[in-house]
Amino acid sequence: MKKPFLTVEELLNKQRGSLRLRLLSGESGLKREIRLKELHRPGLALTGFTELFPTERIQFIGSSEILYIKKLRIDKQQQALNVLFDLDFPCIIVTDRKKVSQVMKEIAKAKGIPLLSTSLSTSELTFRLSFFLNDFFSPSEDIHGTLVDVYGTGLLFIGRAGIGKSEIALDLVERGHRLVADDIVTLTKKLSGMLVGTGPKMLNHLIEIRGVGILNVREMFGVRSVRMQKRIETVVELQDWDDKEDYERLGLDEETCEYLNTKIPLIRLPIFPGKNITVIAEAIALNQHLKVYGLNAARDLSRRLSTNLRDKKRISEYLKWDDE
Amino acid sequence: MVSQKVTVLNKLGIHARPATKLVRLASKGNSKVFITKNGQRINAQSILGVMLLQAEHGSTILIEVDGADEEIMLQKLVNLISSGFEEE
Repeated sequence: MKKPFLTVEELLNKQRGSLRLRLLSGESGLKREIRLKELHRPGLALTGFTELFPTERIQFIGSSEILYIKKLRIDKQQQALNVLFDLDFPCIIVTDRKKVSQVMKEIAKAKGIPLLSTSLSTSELTFRLSFFLNDFFSPSEDIHGTLVDVYGTGLLFIGRAGIGKSEIALDLVERGHRLVADDIVTLTKKLSGMLVGTGPKMLNHLIEIRGVGILNVREMFGVRSVRMQKRIETVVELQDWDDKEDYERLGLDEETCEYLNTKIPLIRLPIFPGKNITVIAEAIALNQHLKVYGLNAARDLSRRLSTNLRDKKRISEYLKWDDE
Repeated sequence: MVSQKVTVLNKLGIHARPATKLVRLASKGNSKVFITKNGQRINAQSILGVMLLQAEHGSTILIEVDGADEEIMLQKLVNLISSGFEEE
């Protein structure tokens, strides 16, 4: 599980490039924690109105705030900035590479609140920073399973330990499909609501095959055999064959399972020795493609049958009373 | 081997869902099950076969069961079809 916050230092290290950030003052506050993805522009607080001020958010100011401060008398400047920095937020970012007064740097240093500068415009900064924070704070969950991209469809294999998830993944990779993660898959819910799976960095594209040990799939099969992340489109639950279980015969009723409050189609696949799960997995992936394009073999056959049955009944009733 | 003729009673005939019920029941026991309609004889454990019969409302089908539990299985199948597959 991810930790629920990000320090200002981490934000600076991770996003220095894309957010063009530079630390101007307040180094002692680099360990401050960011716990919210929302941003805030503290215009009113500069005028002294601090009610309802969201102190947990990252603050940012642009050219108008800088100009406003500049136009104040020096003692009023200090007063306004003291009021602002007393609000104790995680950090403050000045956009558009606006020149920051010495007064502000000194107050930031005294209060221990990082004062950052960026060359990005206000709108560009809010867009990029929100995107990054949304991603960072999106809900996630680690599950035991194997994620493979099969013909572009993300198939997540689940099932008891030792049922053969890794072996299927290896077989699929051998046939040209791409491994995302084996054993531990981190699911993240994106803004759009879709679920994306990725593997832990340390185990990147390693696979454990019982009786053999750890294999490095990327080294063995080349870089085209792996990918970093994939949307999860279908969950395939591998089960030991059970005579008493009713397995899906037509595929008319689509089962779903739920991760992070998102429903994903579920296929429960019974396995037994000699059954080629790899080929079935490919078929599941292709069938999923067809469904996306609006083709559903089970539904089409069912409709055709129902139409025929209705017509036969209508014709036989018509002929019953007056045979031709 | 035992056999019995039975009339399809549900309004919609043996469409996809009743066909699934029938195949599931026929697959449960330890007998072979065959269904014949208009001279066409199919294995009742095959979903596509049962759908191919296109047994409409009012049609008559012949059920044949052969195996260890043939009597019970035949009775269960006849009950399922006579009950109209618990549909209208």
